[in-house]
Amino acid sequence: MSEILQYVHKDGLFHRMHPGTKIFLIIVVGLITILTLDIALLCLILLAVLGMALAGRVLREVLQQMALILAMSVIFILITLITMPDGQVLGYLLPGGYLPVTTGALYAGILLTLRFAILIISFQVFVITTQPRDLVNTLEKIGVPSDYNLMFLIALRFIPTLQIEARKIHEAQLARGYYPGRGFIGRIKSVAPVLIPLVSNALSRATVLGLTIDMRGLRTRARTPFREERLNLLDKAVIGILGMVLITFLAATILPFFF
Amino acid sequence: MIELEEVGYAYPQGEREAISDVSLSVRPGECIFITGPSGAGKTTLCMAAAGILEHEYGGQKRGRVTIQGKDVKEYPGLSEISGLVGMVFDDPEAQLIFTTVEEEILSALERRGLSPEQIEARLVSIMEITQLLALKDRAPYALSGGQKQRVVLATTLALGTDILILDEPTAELDERGTKSIVSVLKNLKAEGKTIILTEHKFSHFRDLVDRLVVMDMGKVRSLGTPEDLVGDEFVKGVILPDFSGIQDFSLPAHPPDPAPVVSVKDLVHCYGDVPALRGVSLDITPGEFIAIVGENGSGKTTLIKHFNGLLRSTSGTVTVDGKNAGTAPVSELAHTVGLVFQNPDHMFFANTVAEEIKFGTLNLGIPHPDQVMERMLAETGLLHARDLYPRWLSRGERQRLAIACVLAMQPKVIVLDEPTTGLDGREAREVMEILKHLQRDGRAIVMVTHSRQMAEECTDRIITMESGKISSDIRRRG
Repeated sequence: MSEILQYVHKDGLFHRMHPGTKIFLIIVVGLITILTLDIALLCLILLAVLGMALAGRVLREVLQQMALILAMSVIFILITLITMPDGQVLGYLLPGGYLPVTTGALYAGILLTLRFAILIISFQVFVITTQPRDLVNTLEKIGVPSDYNLMFLIALRFIPTLQIEARKIHEAQLARGYYPGRGFIGRIKSVAPVLIPLVSNALSRATVLGLTIDMRGLRTRARTPFREERLNLLDKAVIGILGMVLITFLAATILPFFF
Repeated sequence: MIELEEVGYAYPQGEREAISDVSLSVRPGECIFITGPSGAGKTTLCMAAAGILEHEYGGQKRGRVTIQGKDVKEYPGLSEISGLVGMVFDDPEAQLIFTTVEEEILSALERRGLSPEQIEARLVSIMEITQLLALKDRAPYALSGGQKQRVVLATTLALGTDILILDEPTAELDERGTKSIVSVLKNLKAEGKTIILTEHKFSHFRDLVDRLVVMDMGKVRSLGTPEDLVGDEFVKGVILPDFSGIQDFSLPAHPPDPAPVVSVKDLVHCYGDVPALRGVSLDITPGEFIAIVGENGSGKTTLIKHFNGLLRSTSGTVTVDGKNAGTAPVSELAHTVGLVFQNPDHMFFANTVAEEIKFGTLNLGIPHPDQVMERMLAETGLLHARDLYPRWLSRGERQRLAIACVLAMQPKVIVLDEPTTGLDGREAREVMEILKHLQRDGRAIVMVTHSRQMAEECTDRIITMESGKISSDIRRRG
């Protein structure tokens, strides 16, 4: 079973990098990705992000998300085809001249897909190569309140637990002759026997979780860090390069508006 | 260390007090063993003693709790009390917040104002005591129940408190896991820690326990040294499961059909590359009561999931009532094999006990679901609970309800995974009596259990599993 968004213990390029550097990296990548309208540039960034995953030895984990990204791209392109026809008509989705496929809509759909793919992959590389504890410490240092960090940490931590629990509940109900339903509507209708125990168990767990947080003093007592991560040469180089890339990009895209 | 004087408490939604008139004085270095039926107020007592009720819960409170001579009301909050008292709750999953074992323990160590060198030294010594060094980079979801319990215990030790309160620290553990927790606790006691624990498995803790508290219906029913209380019948029923005479009413009313209802041949199952079952063969005939015993990870649960098609074999065959369990749909096999999982809370979703029982019968199209439901309520002693919300029942009642839900589908074979987890001696006997009645009706019972005693005293055939194989298969009668 693949666990979604879980830290993978390896010795890769990103594992050695300071979490702060990685946060800067996804901010720069994210900014450029959102601001640009150039599909060629987006393709280049996507390749770069995949290359980074390869260099960080987490490409296999990243590729596991490809099914999700492909499904998403189909949905995006369908939505843009239906809602924002623009430009030249290339053909029709339905015979008889219904649902025209236009260049403008295709362009918008591909743009959206590429943007989401880059954001998802870079965020994933960041999360699975960073010990959650370092991640939380860094977020705390850059001023994110500790309650939010704890919330983020718990959300990440419980993803696989809920996956495993959902499977156990599903098995228990199958053993009672439960029929998971066929098709989209069938599935929705038959969701109660699995979803209700899952949510009830999670809620009853929340009380103990809260008490545990208080009894360990995670919100109240001061922390004396055991291992302090420092910026190494790699971090400084990456930050330098990213800074230059960002400045060049901003200069190239924003300056033309003023002149 | 901790004093409770005439403590009473009712939860905000509760009609009666969960504990009442509880007085207990815990001396330094003492080990107190709290036991009693499920729903007797053991957990509530722990939370009262740890100051949790005072600071985190509403509801009606009476009496006085002091920790190290100071009333819990005078402590500003839980954070201050947690410097003195460490509490381990009964659900280990909910107490693992971080994503590796080492991080979890560090999270507690880093909040005590220690220097990095001190933190490092304590981290290593705590992981040694709790045998976690080899697991330090593991994520919580990749740990077994026993390992999770040890991580939670280690993290509580990292807080460095003199008082430890442990709520059922071995509930889900096998023999070996229980022994490892007991040996950790022995070391802690030798260091002078005060230990309060709620448990059912008294025999494992006998050397450790100074005083025994037996709870019933929210009150302290008996309090004294184990020697003082050993003559008390009620106490004996709770702490030492007694299955005497249980074999008498199990002789089948009609001679059962000798043809096997489940037949397993050379069964192999691999999870990915890891073999979990390595060539298992066995026949189960109607009217048999079989115990499957073995350590965690020996393949017991993997084996029983093949009986109703939840797992399909990698090689080998499983035949259930003439059908090939490797291909037949689970919903069809459910007519023959009923599987009761370890945690009853994984199945309850209906609003009432009655609806919960009818779910399976309606799915399978069993005739007269209402009559069947009434009969199941009577057979499992749950008539009083017909219209209650399943999750409000006590652990013992929930376990019986889980059995009733599966029984209502009228399977020929009933398979139970650890049906007495979290139950006291008397409740365990109630479950065994239900199973014995079923056996007399000619049904085959297969029970996975950690308890050798229960296997030997209640069943007719004991199958021992060891690393994916049957290492012994002993018939005791017939």
